[in-house]
Formats: sequence, structure tokens, C-alpha cells
Amino acid sequence: MSLLHAEYLKISRRKLFPVMALILLFLVVISAFVLIAFGQIAPELAEDVPVLEKPDAYVIGAQQVASQTWFPIILAVVMLGGELASTVWATSLTRDSRRLAHILSRLTTFTIASWLAFVLGTGLWAAIAFVAAPGSGAPELIEWLGLLWRLAAVVVAWTSLGLGAVAMLRSVGPAIGAALALAFGEGILGFWGPYENVSLTAATNGLFGDVLPGGMGAFIQGADLSTAHALAIIVGWSLLGLGLTYWGLQRRDA
Amino acid sequence: MNDSTAIRVRGLTKTYKRTEALRGLDFDIPSGKVTGFLGPNGAGKTTTFKALLGLTSPSEGDITILGHEVPKQLNSVTKKVGAIVEEPGLIRAHSGRVNLQIAADTLGFGHERIDSMLEFVGLANDARRKADEYSKGMRQRLALAAALLGEPELLLLDEPLDGLDPAGQHAFRARLTALAEAGTTVVVSSHDLADIEALADYVVVIDKGRLISQGPLEEMLDGGSIRVVIENPEAAIQILLAAGFDAKADNGSVVVEAEDGSEIVESLAREGMFPSEVRPERTTLESVFLGITGEEEG
Repeated sequence: MSLLHAEYLKISRRKLFPVMALILLFLVVISAFVLIAFGQIAPELAEDVPVLEKPDAYVIGAQQVASQTWFPIILAVVMLGGELASTVWATSLTRDSRRLAHILSRLTTFTIASWLAFVLGTGLWAAIAFVAAPGSGAPELIEWLGLLWRLAAVVVAWTSLGLGAVAMLRSVGPAIGAALALAFGEGILGFWGPYENVSLTAATNGLFGDVLPGGMGAFIQGADLSTAHALAIIVGWSLLGLGLTYWGLQRRDA
Repeated sequence: MNDSTAIRVRGLTKTYKRTEALRGLDFDIPSGKVTGFLGPNGAGKTTTFKALLGLTSPSEGDITILGHEVPKQLNSVTKKVGAIVEEPGLIRAHSGRVNLQIAADTLGFGHERIDSMLEFVGLANDARRKADEYSKGMRQRLALAAALLGEPELLLLDEPLDGLDPAGQHAFRARLTALAEAGTTVVVSSHDLADIEALADYVVVIDKGRLISQGPLEEMLDGGSIRVVIENPEAAIQILLAAGFDAKADNGSVVVEAEDGSEIVESLAREGMFPSEVRPERTTLESVFLGITGEEEG
């Protein structure tokens, strides 16, 4: 608990989290406007842009927020990278026999922080959908709960990869670049059938299912993956990230 | 290695790609004393500290700290060693006290020493202020408090007095001396030789990754000569030369190459001359340092 408390204290007063959360919420508003309101306000300009309808609009919102993988990546890289830049913390991270506990405490704290931001983003999207989306109906409570754990699963994997990137590279800038390049590159690769079966981006989409209107889900990698398959992929990538973090911190000369 | 040696380093070599930062460095740090770790810029001081802390792996060589081989037995010594190397890593948005709570939690220590350490470094009255509002000296003292949370047997401080005003340096030195008197081994690297001269009992000088000299500070500052203040220096020189001493005039007194003043006094007394003062000629650490590293003043 003491390690978790320390991590909570470290993140709680930093401006990083609220600033990133504001950017996330801004992006949520933009995408909600495009996918919910734009087609209704200016149908002649919207052309092929679909107008999301209730109740799917709520689930698509969670999927849209979950696709903002930069958030957990950057949060994890900046927080751990900041520590590695200081010898005091680098000392505890690289020399302490509780290295695994250190890593897990950071994974837990940063995952919860990113998850809270994603929940906030999903809530904002839901509010916009409630007000602006045509149609009626809303997900049942159990479906909302399902969205919450799906968001958490996605965040764990990307946080873990962010930690792995900065532990390996020991520098915030290159680690952010490498992790975002991975997210982008493997998302593109996810369109290729064989890789789709192990793609984290595909798994992220797969967790939320084929919910886009007009058969657009067919154009999103992994939309037809089963939940179990998607979860297996997410667990695999999370373990890879954790392994890289452990190994990266064990190396003393990075 | 005996109990009186806190750190023993033999043949320590560290190569970064094409740069040899350390080249077969050997030295010993005695227990329970303040040791000054000196060297010009680029001598390898910080690399040595990082190797001692297990933050960098030596290319070759052996390090023994408090009887444990490092990095092999690093886990056995981690909690016995406190350190401030480079940036102390304070979280400026938090108060001094919260910074120590974070340090204690992260490093695996309890909170019971936080109050006494704040008191020790003179920050008890400022414990609720944000570290951002602290002066550089206060932040340095807070970093010292964090390094002392685990009651370390060995304290490694890289340039701890850098940037402090004279009063802050004096207070910091007094705290380090108090720690050494209580049995803590303190190793301080500094490029300010006056700091080390005022603080250290023992000195290790390195340059270009090699040991140049090590030993008790008093021995290093001992110029190996005796200054004799006497009424008629020229006559005294003649007497001492005749007695087999190497003596010369210097600023109205006589400087004699000798370890012990009693034979000098005896020789002079036999001829009816009695010096008003006989004292060992001391040099400054700066002169010693410049002499042994071969650097020229100015």
C-alpha cells in the first residue's frame, strides 16, 4: 500500500494529468460533434459521415475514447521517465529488490488514472449523445459496467507498453515516439489478416464489437474478434510491456 | 577488507563505447569518517559514484561496500547506503514533509524518522511549505533528509555544497561532521577544495579515471617541513646546515626539511639559539591537488 500511496501522491499534484485529461475531453467533443451533430446540422456538407443514433451511439463513444491510446502511453512514459531522470528514484527502481512491486504499483496507479480519464471522456460523450443523438434507448446498467472493464483492459495494455518503452529507452521523448509509432504502425498492420489476430488495436476494437452503423465495422480492424480472443491479445501485450519494463530497469547502463 | 574500510575498489574500469571513464581505479574509503572524493571535471567522480550505487555496471574490477560485493550483492547494501547524486528528485508541488513521505514509501522505509530528519536538517518549521518555495540550500537539505531516512551506514554525496551560500555551506558541513561523529561514513565529491579541506578527514584524488593519491587529509597537508621563527635566521640556517639539515630562509623565518622539530630545536639550543616558534609547515589542499594532478593555476 505504501508504494501505491507514494505513486498517488506523485501523480496527484502534477499538472500533467489534468492537462492531458482536458485535451482528451476536447478530442471527445470534436469527435462527438462530427459523428453525432455534424450530419444533422449540415447534412449537405456531411455527405457520407454517418449520424450515430441511440443506443449504439453510447457504445461507440466508449470505443472512440478507448482508441485514444496516446493517453495511457504518454502518462506512463512521462511519469516513469521523470523518475528515471532523477538518481534518487532511478536508484530505488533499478537497485531495489522490490522491483516488481515498484513496477506493479506504477502500472496500477497510471492505469487507474488513465481509466478515470477514459471514463470521464465516455461520460462526456454519453452526455452529448443523450442531448444530440437521434433515436431512443440506452444501454442497460450491465452494459455500462461492461464498457468500464473493457476500457480498463485497454488502458492496462497501453500503460504497460508505455512503461516498457521508457524503461528500455530511459528517455521520455524517444520513448513517447517509439510507443506512439508502435501504436500507429501496429494499427495499420492490424488491417492485414494474419496480424489482426495479434494486433492490440484490433483487440481494442474487438472488445467493443461491430457497432458502427452502415456496415462500417467491416472496415475497422478486429471488429469481429471474439471477446475472449481480444482479451487474450490484450493480456499478451500487457505481459510483453511488463517484461520489457522489468528487463529495461534491470539494465544499469541504459 | 577489514571493518575499518567501508568501500574497497580495485581495478575499476568503465568504458562507454569509445570513452574510458574509469581506468583501473583503486581506492579505499575508511569507515566512520568524512572522505573527500576529488578530481578535476571529467575525472570520473560521478561515474564512480554511479558504479558504487549500482546504477552503472563496471566493465571490469571489484567493488566491496560494507563487506558486500557490488553489484552481485547489491540488495544487501541498498538500504544501508543513502545518496544524493546529480538531481535530488524532489517533487516541487509537494511540501517538504510529503516529499519525505513519498521518499520513505518508495524506498521502503517507515515514516517514523521523518520528523527527526526534518529537525536534523533544520526544516521542521518549513515542513509544510512546498518544495517549490524552498531555496536551493533548503532543497539540498531536504534531499539530505531523504537520503538519511533509512539511517544509512554510508552516505554518498555528489557536489552537495554546490550553489549554497557560505552560511548554508557551513551549516551543511556541520551536519555532515555530526553524522560522521555518530558513525556514518560520509563520502563527498566536490570540485571546491576549500569545502573538502574544511570538512574531510580523508581524501581520495582521482584524475582521468585513475587514482592519483589517497590518505588522511592531515598527512596530505603536511608539507614535510618545519617552520622555525627565530631572532637571527641567517645564523640559525648556518647552524642547521652544519648539523645536516636542509634549511633555507623564508619570509624572515627558517624552513627546514624535516618531519620532527625536536632535533632542530636541540641543534639550535646547543649553539645557544632558542626559536620563538617551531611548527609544521602546512600546505593547502589546492596546492596539493594542483601538484598531484599536474594542473597549472590560472
